[in-house]
Amino acid sequence: MKEISELNLPDDIRYAEDHEWARLEGDRIRVGLDDYAQDQLGDIVFVELPQIGDTFEKGKEFATVESVKAVVECYLPVGGEIIAVNTALEESPELVNKSPYNDGWFVDVNPSDPSEMDDLMTNAECLEKLKGAD
Amino acid sequence: MQKETKKTPLYDWHVAHGANMVSFGEYEMPLWYPAGAKKEHLAVLTKAGIFDTSHMALVIVIGPDVFELLQICFTKDLYACVGKDKSPLVPGRCVYGAFLNESGKVIDDAIVYQLEHNTYMTVVNAGLGGEVARHLMAYRDRRNVEITDLTDKIGKMDIQGPMAARILMKVLVDPEEVFEDMLYFTFKGYFDEASPLADKVRLIDGTPLLLSRTGYTGEFGFEIFVDQSHLVKVWEMIFDAGQDFGLLPCGLAVRDSLRASAVLPLSHQDIGPWPFINHPWHFALPFNPNRTDFTKKFIGNEALKNIDKPEYTYAFTGYDLRKVSVYDQPIVLDSEGNKIGLVLTCICDIAIGRHGDRIYSISSPDKPENFEPKGLSCGFVKVKSKLDPGQVVELKDKRRKIKVMIVSDIRPDRTARCPIEEIIEQKEKRL
Repeated sequence: MKEISELNLPDDIRYAEDHEWARLEGDRIRVGLDDYAQDQLGDIVFVELPQIGDTFEKGKEFATVESVKAVVECYLPVGGEIIAVNTALEESPELVNKSPYNDGWFVDVNPSDPSEMDDLMTNAECLEKLKGAD
Repeated sequence: MQKETKKTPLYDWHVAHGANMVSFGEYEMPLWYPAGAKKEHLAVLTKAGIFDTSHMALVIVIGPDVFELLQICFTKDLYACVGKDKSPLVPGRCVYGAFLNESGKVIDDAIVYQLEHNTYMTVVNAGLGGEVARHLMAYRDRRNVEITDLTDKIGKMDIQGPMAARILMKVLVDPEEVFEDMLYFTFKGYFDEASPLADKVRLIDGTPLLLSRTGYTGEFGFEIFVDQSHLVKVWEMIFDAGQDFGLLPCGLAVRDSLRASAVLPLSHQDIGPWPFINHPWHFALPFNPNRTDFTKKFIGNEALKNIDKPEYTYAFTGYDLRKVSVYDQPIVLDSEGNKIGLVLTCICDIAIGRHGDRIYSISSPDKPENFEPKGLSCGFVKVKSKLDPGQVVELKDKRRKIKVMIVSDIRPDRTARCPIEEIIEQKEKRL
């Protein structure tokens, strides 16, 4: 397991309480699972993603991630319509472990209220929270 | 206040090697190492893995009346338990069974080893040494038996996988002699220098071991018992010897996935405080050949023969790798959608997959070309109605329903029973 100091928490993205991340890319928001979550879950063997066109409110369950050991839900950090899903995860769910912020992304969202991004944590805040919990 | 957890002598080694440590019973144990549970699972099927199992407990039972005490407390008939002919237990042989209470419910499952005439050792699960010792004590009556709980006094590690023998050959004194006649469920040597048995198995640095051809993965391998003070040294020696053979240290996650798909129960999850009968482990009970009665009397046998509302435990295999989460108390539904029971274990064996109407494992000799399994969910259910292999039921947790088939076996082509000479030869060819 990674020490908190070993976690990769980039500063260009925002973090939700349940360890989903969100990154503004033009007018869409890309969403995935952060380094802490993938490390805790261990080898991810399956990711169940929503359909393009589905809409979710902020905080609603939109994906299920299955590791060798556990099954967990993921909650959308910003509400909106799903406009892209990472189909590479169907064949290669391990991308979530290998590259949580790039190749292992989950979905792109067309946000209904982009300001919801502001409610999410910065990497510094996320780190503080993890240190507090440790 | 949080209960303080115990550490095995290998704790520092696990942490130094990046293990993800979790609390398991009273112990801090590795869940997986940096290689990850998938690679560890595959290593045991194709190469070898080592597991720290020193959290398990050991009870020594000695005395002129020990056989009689074990005969009434343990579910195996020690007069008739070895091999196909059901011969009596002899020194150097061990058997799997359970300790039950008067209601036929499980205190723990165990392996009983006959060390010498009137000297036995039983290996039980973490934290249960005391309870099993007290249970034996309670039924000792006037019998002349001495019961010693060696919990946390003995170091234990398992090496499992087809390369296990070849790895041990590098560290054992006279491995040919040690491996001679070493059938499944036999053992040699002893961990206490003072015993005359200790000379039977030694490492090249002189450390005496009890080497047992048993394990909890369904694959070829050994359980190794050493004096606790030697455990780290022995572990490191075997770890180093295994580096040329693809040996990986393995955590509890793969111990669970390997044992479940080998149809081995986890105590207090698949067997527990309910009657120990109508389950896939009938070989742990002293049945007569037609399974109409038991061949001996033992604690719990009356209760097992007189059950009001029987429940049945079955193994199942899914159609893809999706699981239900046992933490959500998933239920079993029949074809009409009626609740018929509970899911005891549900894991994913990532090394098996369906092809046509068969299941293959990555170590199946006849697997289809380019066979790359994604894994299948599997485990155990306990239901109130009798089911037959091939029947399909649904498992339901809060997020999903999955269809699974009731089966009599899960992971095919396991190596646990493979003759030792054969597996050494095969692996030599492959190297």
